[in-house]
Amino acid sequence: MKKILALVLAALMMLSLAACGGNADVDPTTATANGDTTAAADSDLAYIKSKGKMVIGITDYAPMNYPDENGAWTGFDTEFAEAVCAKLGVTPEFFVLADWDAKTNELNAKTIDCVWNGMTITDDLKDGMDISDPYVINAQVIVCKADDAEKYATVESIKDATIAVEGGSAAEKLVAELGYTNVTPVTAQSDTLLEVKSGAADVAVIDITMAKAMTGEGTSYADFTYTASLSEEEYGIGFRKGSDACTEVNKIMAELMADGTLDALAEKYELTLVK
Amino acid sequence: MFEIVMTKLINGFAVTLELFALTLLFAIPLGLIICFGSMSKFKPLKAIVKIFVWVIRGTPLMLQLIVFFYGPGLIGNWAAAQASANPIIEWLATWKVMDRMVSVVIMFSINYACYFSEIYRGGIESIPRGQYEACQVLGMTKTQTFFKVILMQLVKRIVPPMSNEIITLVKDTSLARIISVYEIIWAGQAFIKSNGILWPLLATGLFYLLFNGLLTIVFGRIEKRLDYYHN
Repeated sequence: MKKILALVLAALMMLSLAACGGNADVDPTTATANGDTTAAADSDLAYIKSKGKMVIGITDYAPMNYPDENGAWTGFDTEFAEAVCAKLGVTPEFFVLADWDAKTNELNAKTIDCVWNGMTITDDLKDGMDISDPYVINAQVIVCKADDAEKYATVESIKDATIAVEGGSAAEKLVAELGYTNVTPVTAQSDTLLEVKSGAADVAVIDITMAKAMTGEGTSYADFTYTASLSEEEYGIGFRKGSDACTEVNKIMAELMADGTLDALAEKYELTLVK
Repeated sequence: MFEIVMTKLINGFAVTLELFALTLLFAIPLGLIICFGSMSKFKPLKAIVKIFVWVIRGTPLMLQLIVFFYGPGLIGNWAAAQASANPIIEWLATWKVMDRMVSVVIMFSINYACYFSEIYRGGIESIPRGQYEACQVLGMTKTQTFFKVILMQLVKRIVPPMSNEIITLVKDTSLARIISVYEIIWAGQAFIKSNGILWPLLATGLFYLLFNGLLTIVFGRIEKRLDYYHN
């Protein structure tokens, strides 16, 4: 009896191992199939158009690209990419990068056509790829009472103010790098605003997405506003070096900015466009 | 890394101990005052004290800490925004937030004093009435009776429940982090956010455990010392 059981278990294990191997194979095969190199002569754009689809490298990263309740991709970058692809006359295909750091290699290997996933533009990245015009900014901004807005209009102006930040956040690091010592780390980003409201702190430093959502008219901090930013990051779309698709997408992006499509998306996902 | 973590944890634990010691220092005598109030023969005073103890014991300490720290600042702001010549509003407009540590020590002391007061009351009421009558017969005043006869018996009887409450206090100090008093749990938790490591937070448990072990030994000694009938 025991022997039979052991045999059955062993068989099951082998089956499950085989099944795992099978699953793992699926993604790379589709990926290499996409990386068909024959069509591209000079024009990267022509190559993408000839395939009829643009393979977009992403990671699961809310609110840029993330699965909705049905498992389909949604998010700011997803909808943005879909709008651009519609204008290009190709279908978007989202490919999840297992390793974000390998994105440049994936582009060069033509397993993907672009990286479009809330990618922060840095000089290092520009060495390996062409990057579109920036479209969304993320920033750490100063939040204060509207009455104090003039007093705390610049980064230097909060030097001697009491500053509330979230403990362990990017804001805490930035303030420390500036050498400002009058800092109160609290347990959550939202608590920094209570610190300011009660007068326990003069200003808070939080990211712009939250600052926008929680201050100003119609919010619980109606008499609050945000002023200068301590750091600014810009998001861009990465293409192969020398790709003419990058220029074309820039053109389309300008159109989408002008006709308000991106404004609507930015509002939906509470992001800040580059203006 | 180990050294960095330990330095931060030890610094955090110093704040924990400071809060613990200051709370005990103020709460133990304050508890006795509240206890007398709740046993007062003057009915209105008794009612007020009873309601106060009910509110303090009946709401979470974390809530009390938040209200007591942020409340004065928020009220001050609100009053300052009112265009009223009412002297009360004007007085309220001067309200400001206190120093964090001061605020926390006051709230902890009041909270624990309420618990202590009930322990004291239980102790006092457990002393047989006959002793009071005997003192009266001997011509002692009420004050004399309490300090010369009752108090030492009281101390002996309340040590076990007090040690219970005091050990709870050691761990409750961690609530202070809600208004950014950087005690040891905060220090440990900071490493999860910045370095993604959990063990510093787990290590804080050792600090509590060791300190409470020490307290247990101390209370055991005190109990033995006070066990004068069996020596």
